[in-house]
Amino acid sequence: MKFCSLVCVFLATAMSSYAATITVRNESGSALAQVMVSRSLVEKAALNLSDDGYTPHALSNQATTTVTRFTNAEGVVRFGDVPEAVTYRARAQGYVDVTFTRTDDDIVLAKMSAEQLIASYPSNVWLSQMTFGGDLELKKRFQLNCAFCHQQASVFMRNERTVEQWLGVFARMNGYGARLPVDEQERIAQLLQEEYRFLREHPQVVPQPRQWESHLSGVDMTEWPIGDGFSQMHDFLLHPNGNVYVGDNLFDRIYEVNPVSGKYTVYKVPHPEDARLGGILGNRFTVFPKMNNYMGVHSFAYSKKDGHIFITPSMQQALLEFNPDTKEFTTHWMPEGFYPHTIRIDQKDRVWFTLAVSSQVAMFDRSEEEFHFYDLPARSFKEAFIINALPLIFWLDPENRPIPDPDAESTGLPMPYGIDISSDGIVWATRLYANDIARIDPETEEVTMIDFPYQGPRRLRVDADDNLWIVAFQDSLLVKYDPVNERFTAYDLPVINEIPYALNVDKDRGVVWVTGNQSDTLLSFDIETENWKVYPLPRQRFFTRDIEISAKDGAVYTTNSHFPTWQSEGGQPTLLRIAPLKEVVSGKAEQ
Amino acid sequence: MQRGFRLILAALILESAGAADDGWLYYGGDQGGRHYSDASQINTENVARLQVAWIFRSGDVETFGEEMENTSGQSTPILLPEVAGGSLVYCTPFNRIIALSPESGTRRWQFDPLIDHRGDRPFRCRGVSYAEELRVAADSHCRHRIYTATHDRRLWAVDAIDGTPCTDFGEYGFVQLFGEEGYVPGDVSTTSAPVVANGIVVVGSSVIDFTRLKTPRGTVNAYDSQSGELLWQFDPLPGAPDSGGANVWAPMSVDAANGLIYLPTGAPSPDYYGVHRPGNNLYANSVVAVELATGKVRWYFQHVRHDLWDYDSPAQPVLFTWRKDGQSVPALAQLTKQGFVFVFNRLTGEPLWEITQQPVPPSLIAGEQTAVTQPKPIAPPQLLDPNLTPDQAWGITPWDKKDCARQISELVNLGNFTPLSEQLTLMFPGSLGGANWGGGALLGDTGVLLVNINNVPFSGRLIPTLKNVSPADQKQDHPGAGQRMQVTMQGSGYTVEIGALQSSLGIPCNAPPWGKVVAVDLLRGRIDWEAPLGSVHELGPINSPFQINLGTPNLGGGIATAGGLFFIGATMDRLIRAYDTASGEVLWDFELPVDATATPMTYVYKGRQYVIINAGGHHMFNRGYGDYLFAFALADKK
Repeated sequence: MKFCSLVCVFLATAMSSYAATITVRNESGSALAQVMVSRSLVEKAALNLSDDGYTPHALSNQATTTVTRFTNAEGVVRFGDVPEAVTYRARAQGYVDVTFTRTDDDIVLAKMSAEQLIASYPSNVWLSQMTFGGDLELKKRFQLNCAFCHQQASVFMRNERTVEQWLGVFARMNGYGARLPVDEQERIAQLLQEEYRFLREHPQVVPQPRQWESHLSGVDMTEWPIGDGFSQMHDFLLHPNGNVYVGDNLFDRIYEVNPVSGKYTVYKVPHPEDARLGGILGNRFTVFPKMNNYMGVHSFAYSKKDGHIFITPSMQQALLEFNPDTKEFTTHWMPEGFYPHTIRIDQKDRVWFTLAVSSQVAMFDRSEEEFHFYDLPARSFKEAFIINALPLIFWLDPENRPIPDPDAESTGLPMPYGIDISSDGIVWATRLYANDIARIDPETEEVTMIDFPYQGPRRLRVDADDNLWIVAFQDSLLVKYDPVNERFTAYDLPVINEIPYALNVDKDRGVVWVTGNQSDTLLSFDIETENWKVYPLPRQRFFTRDIEISAKDGAVYTTNSHFPTWQSEGGQPTLLRIAPLKEVVSGKAEQ
Repeated sequence: MQRGFRLILAALILESAGAADDGWLYYGGDQGGRHYSDASQINTENVARLQVAWIFRSGDVETFGEEMENTSGQSTPILLPEVAGGSLVYCTPFNRIIALSPESGTRRWQFDPLIDHRGDRPFRCRGVSYAEELRVAADSHCRHRIYTATHDRRLWAVDAIDGTPCTDFGEYGFVQLFGEEGYVPGDVSTTSAPVVANGIVVVGSSVIDFTRLKTPRGTVNAYDSQSGELLWQFDPLPGAPDSGGANVWAPMSVDAANGLIYLPTGAPSPDYYGVHRPGNNLYANSVVAVELATGKVRWYFQHVRHDLWDYDSPAQPVLFTWRKDGQSVPALAQLTKQGFVFVFNRLTGEPLWEITQQPVPPSLIAGEQTAVTQPKPIAPPQLLDPNLTPDQAWGITPWDKKDCARQISELVNLGNFTPLSEQLTLMFPGSLGGANWGGGALLGDTGVLLVNINNVPFSGRLIPTLKNVSPADQKQDHPGAGQRMQVTMQGSGYTVEIGALQSSLGIPCNAPPWGKVVAVDLLRGRIDWEAPLGSVHELGPINSPFQINLGTPNLGGGIATAGGLFFIGATMDRLIRAYDTASGEVLWDFELPVDATATPMTYVYKGRQYVIINAGGHHMFNRGYGDYLFAFALADKK
């Protein structure tokens, strides 16, 4: 009976699917290459969302995937194994989107009007023409503090606002955790008003975005929708067991996604009964109608020893351990340190992570079940005083804490951020606001600070040769640091005025992948040839904070974690995979 | 009949020219609602010497007594041409039409439609309309007609010279606006003036749209202006059988030369819940350009998709000529409660400022599918600041400021278009925010629009309600000061609760001004100036002897003149003011017996310019009522 059922399911599946070949042309009849064609199912899978709109703990749902491919030079794109009742969206630079269901006729795209065209340009090209009155440093501070959640020159931002309205926006954003210097806000508000006006009135100065290129017809993009518009799918992990573990930072949930079946299971991170919403920071998001970030799941790493997943809960003085076999969580409470951030595990199965607020790096020795802390130096006496006063400050009720107004240097918050470990066991960490790199030798416990000659070292990764790759956030650069020769090399990004948040290195293929949050792209950099490739993402305002890479085929994963996520196109967070398309005989693509 | 011939015939049938330069022939000054007069005898130099020319009292207070508490004086008179009697004509809240001498304010005639007073809906009448019916012989009865639509759903045509009904129109002078369902007191009424052009009278309606899921349809009716024959109907919410409303209650505009009427449509029912009406709910919350002759939609623009905020199109579309960069475009500006101004080519619907799609927050109500984005013009800016954080709380003492900060911190507040949930949610702007039926006043050909704005935050929530509460047992209109409205939306499973966000002292929790005048340059897409509108000196426990111009809630509109002045009442301080249109400075004010929640008008008669305003109070303001019509003029005509 069971066998029969399987056969029947197989037959039913086979009979209800087909291959689709789609040809896209312009109005003159010419084939259009590099047209992004996204295929979605009309019928969405029924979901159990009975836990405040989310999947209940330890229960599973089936994600309704969307697949995106690009036309080749002949204007043709193929989808294998297409279920019935699908809908397609065709999108190409300079053309008006078309949605369709039938594929037997050629799809014709109409050119955008001049107004539509300029309006369709992504944030980065608009932002590139914002000069901030010639004060480049001011622009960088604006980007540092305002571009880590939002695209800054998207249609959301370019609307005319009064200076007072801009100041209201800044007040709201600083309340959420931005650090826009108080004494610069009035000037920035005036500049935003003036310069957005200028661009609106002189759109011809806005450069064209980078054109989509032929390599795109060799990839397949799959999206799995998880969570909802209030979620924030922050960091995640591609586990050797084949599953992807995604953290919903605002709802203390882990999504265990099976990329083969599309099924996902949700695990709620436990928190102490007396934990308060928002943890030690208090609830900065009281204006949100729902939020469950008692722990604030942030960054993920797995142990090569037993596969256990370690997670930084930013809102607590703790480290989380998740056993993917038993699905059990263990909380390791820390005696000190604030805001566990990015996490990695070394060759000796020691767990390393940055402590962003207390300016430390922590190490959890699994064998001894002990934490070790490495204090990173303060930049000034005032900063040292603030950092030393943190235990007292956090002892106070969040609603009555003295919070100094942010200044241009973000004094008191050097903010250790990214972290990685080279093959010789050296631990490297960047400090975002301090513009430096910490080198920690676990054997000698020596901490060495290295000046980073650029601004905004956010996340970093080590490559196969133990070089460090670092994104210089507000400087719009990818930077390599050669520790042997103590030499920095900066690489311009392939898209203008990008503000890179995160990166990862495909050590097997020698490729660095960089997030392109202002341009709706992922960027790949071939270390050997120093050539870039640009991958446009299937949704606008697809803000990404992490990248994972499959060693097996070089597929890259990322998540849509715009904050708030409803501001992304479609309002639905997704896990995205970009994979090389598997070509088979007769030119048909199978996936 | 061929379309071209029809247009010629229509042009012959009716005199459809715009307002005379110094006259005020239409509710909105002209048929495009510009609220503008070329009159300049009263100007910035001499307005300080403006004085009362005459006062007329309709007699409603004496006749209706306490029933006046459920009224508001909202009427803007029109001035008829001499050939039509040359009278100043307006309506009272009970739909009496009164014709006055424009020079002395003495009554020439009146017509009382003897409306049905049943039901608890407030009584109001914003104006009447005039047309010359060329199919009737010259000098014959009802060659010149006044049209009015009444509280009890009748459309009347009366003779402009003597006020007697036009017996060739419908049934002895009127047609019934309701259908087979009959007249249900309190369900549907009419507030704004009908529109007459090209031989056709078009009338909208006012529907109670938040007490139940399925309310009456907001059908717009068009009639032959001579016979009253029904010519066409427009359903603003086709394909939504379980909903209703989307009615056109705000004043409409007409481009008679191009044969188009512009319908500002309201929200679908109920205002704050839409599970039963999935999708965008076209043509609700739109401005719809409809062919006057046929009722066919030419173009439309929906400024709110799947409305959950009661963001009706509240204001008369302003028709004007867009002159920029050597271009001259027939344009339309639509004001909204959200505080946005959308500007279009009024013949094609093409936006003259790019309209961006703003991502907006989703709803937490089970089954509620909000629109993913809502439209917002790239310019001009929103005419109010929707940001309100605890740090921005305002108070006159540290205690009420702290109280406000606490209240704000406890509200769901995700910015524009935050849907109501079961948690208390900031509504800023609320349904009485931004612009309203007072519309805007265009400053001649400059492209500068003067708009009065309400700037008071509200809070609201949806309360799960198992049992439907009888409409008779709940407050059904917008809440006044200190009140929290609770209305069970029959069939939804929810009661909506809404009230002003204010401190324990009854003071709004946001920084003043709580009412303001904004001069917005439509061509340059920016705000030229803002000024407080209204003084709170009568709103405290005791009256202050001097004005405290922090702005007040305001209803009614303003008018601009070639004299460089913007006249407006509308406030909760009984004042009518004249602003300098260049600077926003108040150059003159006058204290009336009651609040003047009406739009003034102006005209020049026998060489003297008059400014007229209806002072009748407003039931929502709860500050007294009256039946006054005030005329102001200079003593020496200079």
